[in-house]
Amino acid sequence: MKPFAWNYARPAELAPVIDQYSYDSTLQLNVLPDGRPAVSDRTLLAAVGTTTSTAGSATHFDD
Amino acid sequence: MTVLILTCEQDVTADMVVAQLHRRGVPLVRFDPADLPGEGALSAEYVRGEFRGYLSTGGRVVSMDGLRSIWVRRPGEPAAHAAEPSEWLTAESGQALYGVLECTGARWMNERDAAAKARLKPWQLRLAHHSGFPVPATVVTTYPRVARQFAEQYRHVVVKAVSGKPPGEPPMALPTTLVPPDTDFSDVAAGPTLLQRYIAKRADIRLTAVGDRLFAARKPAEPGQVDGRYGDTGHTWEPVEVQPRVERSVALYRKLAGLAYGAFDFAEDSEGTWWFLECNQGGQFGFIELETGQPIADAVAEWLGAPGECA
Repeated sequence: MKPFAWNYARPAELAPVIDQYSYDSTLQLNVLPDGRPAVSDRTLLAAVGTTTSTAGSATHFDD
Repeated sequence: MTVLILTCEQDVTADMVVAQLHRRGVPLVRFDPADLPGEGALSAEYVRGEFRGYLSTGGRVVSMDGLRSIWVRRPGEPAAHAAEPSEWLTAESGQALYGVLECTGARWMNERDAAAKARLKPWQLRLAHHSGFPVPATVVTTYPRVARQFAEQYRHVVVKAVSGKPPGEPPMALPTTLVPPDTDFSDVAAGPTLLQRYIAKRADIRLTAVGDRLFAARKPAEPGQVDGRYGDTGHTWEPVEVQPRVERSVALYRKLAGLAYGAFDFAEDSEGTWWFLECNQGGQFGFIELETGQPIADAVAEWLGAPGECA
């Protein structure tokens, strides 16, 4: 027997593989290949979905 | 005085705040507890009633005395990146890090005890009621009979996870889901189940509270849509005005919960009433800012960068 709520579970969307930006420890934020902060490209952020309410990390679930 | 941001490298929502802190000229250190020990290091000494010491990461060193605020954003599990990780090392590293940070006079967004309590859904609903929000009828039970009676009483009920999405592989999601008629509730005995009266909504509301500053956004719902986080309806989030009554309730909720930050979810019914669904003490806000243009990251930066007494 499994918990009732589990009957309504479904596979989660896989976290996107992000290769459009990488962490810069000097600036302490993620940067694009041309060195600009990733947050300057709002279209990209929206497209990769990493700021959405279903994008919690493995250690966070209350988005 | 420095802002300490506890989060992982991949957290671009934190980047939005880091960029604003840079713009404001506020010193910051971004530290992932997963890097302790290793890339991250700490040392603190107990001297005459006080712990004094420092944290370091990425070549930066910050004195415990020099912290003005601590933002608990998306910290990794302590010691997760250690050469030889273990549950014990995680416990040791977590106790050392947070134990020392709790000795500082820094303001927290959010206080860890408050954050832990704020995650408890039944407590949220009670607090919401006492804060003046309308709250849908809800039951948490392991009795199939009770669940069945609740469903019969309200006819349209949803099931949602009590704690959040389940851990493990493969990754699974538990969207809030309408329970079909004639459902067999016998599995309720296998685990606490949260059922809630379904609110037929015309819109989802996400209200982000950053200190006293409120940013409310509204997204129209499709008929029958239950969980606004799932399914692309083609609608977008738009800024919406906060009624004074809601403003007062949010302020009271934050005060009672001891939260500096909270992301409130409401269902707006056909009469325009905002029904409290939950308040996520660490809820995402980047997607709202990207769609509405509301300056939430700057508000977080302002709160973190403000001088002042510890909360």
